[in-house]
Amino acid sequence: MNKWIKRNTLPVGLVCVSLGIFLLLLVISLPSTPVSAAPLAQGEKLTNDDCLACHQNEGMTAQIGGQSLSLTINHEDFSASVHGEENVACVDCHSNITSFPHPVVNAGSPRDFSIKMYPTCQKCHAEQYQKVLDSVHQKAIASGNENAAVCTDCHNPHTQTRLTDKNTGKLLPEARLSIPDKCARCHSTIYDAYKGSVHGTALTQGNADVPTCIDCHGVHNIQSPTTNSFRNSTPFLCSKCHTDQSIMGKYGISTNVLNTYVSDFHGTTVKMFEETYPDQPTNKPVCTDCHGIHDILKVDDPNAGIAFKKNLLTKCQQCHPNATTQTFTDAWLSHYEPSPKVFPLVYYVNLFYKFFIPTVLGGMLFYVLTDIYRRFIVPRLGGKGGSHK
Amino acid sequence: MSKQTGFYQRFPLARRIEHLAMLLSFTTLGLTGLPQKFPSAGLSVAVVNLIGGIENLRSIHHVAAIILMLGTIWHLMVFGYLAYVRRTRLSMLPSLQDVKDGWQALMYNLGIAKSFPQMGRYTFEEKMEYWAFVWGTLVMVITGFMMWNPLSTVKFLPGEVIPAAKAAHGGEAVLAVLAIIIWHMYGVHIKSSNKSMFTGKMSEQDMLHEHPLELADIKAGIAERPVDAVVLRKRQRIYLPIAGVVAILMLGGLYGFVNAEKTALTTVDRQQPTVQVFVPQTFTPAPTQTPTLPPTETPLPASQQPGTGSTPVASSLTWDNAIGAIFQNKCGSCHGSSATAGLNLSTYVDAMKGGNSGAVILAGDSDESLLVIKQLAGGHPGQLLSEEILQIIEWINAGALEK
Repeated sequence: MNKWIKRNTLPVGLVCVSLGIFLLLLVISLPSTPVSAAPLAQGEKLTNDDCLACHQNEGMTAQIGGQSLSLTINHEDFSASVHGEENVACVDCHSNITSFPHPVVNAGSPRDFSIKMYPTCQKCHAEQYQKVLDSVHQKAIASGNENAAVCTDCHNPHTQTRLTDKNTGKLLPEARLSIPDKCARCHSTIYDAYKGSVHGTALTQGNADVPTCIDCHGVHNIQSPTTNSFRNSTPFLCSKCHTDQSIMGKYGISTNVLNTYVSDFHGTTVKMFEETYPDQPTNKPVCTDCHGIHDILKVDDPNAGIAFKKNLLTKCQQCHPNATTQTFTDAWLSHYEPSPKVFPLVYYVNLFYKFFIPTVLGGMLFYVLTDIYRRFIVPRLGGKGGSHK
Repeated sequence: MSKQTGFYQRFPLARRIEHLAMLLSFTTLGLTGLPQKFPSAGLSVAVVNLIGGIENLRSIHHVAAIILMLGTIWHLMVFGYLAYVRRTRLSMLPSLQDVKDGWQALMYNLGIAKSFPQMGRYTFEEKMEYWAFVWGTLVMVITGFMMWNPLSTVKFLPGEVIPAAKAAHGGEAVLAVLAIIIWHMYGVHIKSSNKSMFTGKMSEQDMLHEHPLELADIKAGIAERPVDAVVLRKRQRIYLPIAGVVAILMLGGLYGFVNAEKTALTTVDRQQPTVQVFVPQTFTPAPTQTPTLPPTETPLPASQQPGTGSTPVASSLTWDNAIGAIFQNKCGSCHGSSATAGLNLSTYVDAMKGGNSGAVILAGDSDESLLVIKQLAGGHPGQLLSEEILQIIEWINAGALEK
């Protein structure tokens, strides 16, 4: 008997209990509301449970402009989200909803609805929203490109978990690993290139040292990466990590790459050019011209690594089409500091001048000083001088 | 040398012009070159900005280099003329005497030697200056050529010579500029103000101090070696055509120097990698059931086609054994005792009564039942699954029985 009751009454009981709680809540919150579609009393805010009562039902959809938009909210996902954690109410964002039936959605398509909806994020995320206003995505939206990302494309407001540390505001390591997935939704081919790169491979293996999309492109105020300014500043962008011994030391990568680049002809030019005309085009190479952009490989990659002269030559030929001999590649020191072993000729020329200059100038200076002494100082001391007689 | 009221001509006009050209080109080369050697220095940046960018700076550097090389060619031609046609003394050639003079001067300055050396047309200081300039120009022209024409250079030499040339060019530049500042500035501007390179003349007093041996030669009339007019004409006829050809060859070489290689200097249009930016991933559709089947596509079995007639279709479904539970689970939140829109689906009686819009369940006619119409249209909050709708349709068409 007991068994029978247990087997048959438990689900019903559960439904009854939850329904009862809900109804109780409803009764408490709407003590005098008659059983009708009348709007809720002023000042009464719908609770998330009110909304979820319907919206957690599987398969709820709405038709907007002939396209289907899912209206189902997974209660567990939402509870686990940062908005759920922080007890954000549905109606904090969906602020025009105060009752059922809901107001008519005034949008041409689900996409149009998202675009109309995202400014609501600024109510809580003003700083990020302001940055977004300056972004390439926002410019695309403003020019009528509905494909460009808005807040909710990267951060699903119903499921987005916490990305930054609550206290420090720093990006959480696990959040870092998931960033490229977000961008990949729209930039899938770029993501594919990144995935195969030295950075992307490491990231997918859980290495948070490597750059994700936002380390180079920024976040929220993402700028167009095809501008001259962006290109001219590339060496300084890459060197943020590549001159950091605390990161590079782990992988045995030289931190001297910026110095060696700037002291070379190309780097000198780009550096000085960037100082004067940051927004003008230069034809001198920056990091990405030889190393690649999203598809950066290890320099000793057996197939395309530019530590191999034949691979490097193809890079040289992008600007020096007449360069046909691999010896030409040695005209670039490949970020090496000349030493007796690597580029000895350059090393010894430098060494020669290191001694030659002080020797010659020192000799000259010594003679000049003796001449000053004899010509200008000795006469003042009452001695013989001045004239060569 | 013509003596004019105590002054001796030291440098003819052509030589003074030559000096001026070298002075201007050398200074320009230094001012535009050093910022390239020290790109990180604040002063370098200021100079580059003043000139309007690194590319302008380089162009000016190149023009100055061309002037310096033209001056060098001119100098060599004049040297040839003086040496072959005029057969003047090669007074600029260094000799052992210069070493002795230098040593004696040093000793004198230190108070060890009793007297300052007596020197001729060019003192050891001037010769050092001259030969340092020759050495510097040679290094700069060769290394400058390599940097200007890297592709041509690596046809004959290893690639490494290009950065080596750059290293030498920079090192030599520092040496030259500082040597000029220390040696030349002191020697002709501080020690004594020697303006002869600009006025062309030098006073007898200064001659006596600086070039006593030359003064003695002038006074003795042996400073110049007069050349017989016929011999002069004959040598000129030999020298001038050869010099002309050599000059043309050298100018041709200079033209090649400047123009041989353009690819390294002129803009090759950078091919910006073109990437398709917006390539959205293809998602597997969200796992939404298909509750919004358009009515026409509802795949109902023929026996359950709505509106096939008023004849009740046999069905085992009743309110008690299935339908009531569906309504309670799926619709109860709103259409339970709270009876949103007046519709309460919690009991059979209330359900059949309908809501504010009237009856929603018309027994035997699912087509006209508002509940079915609403659900088939889709998008209703508390949307039923398609199989649930099918069951309800079957139930209504069978007469919407309670038991």
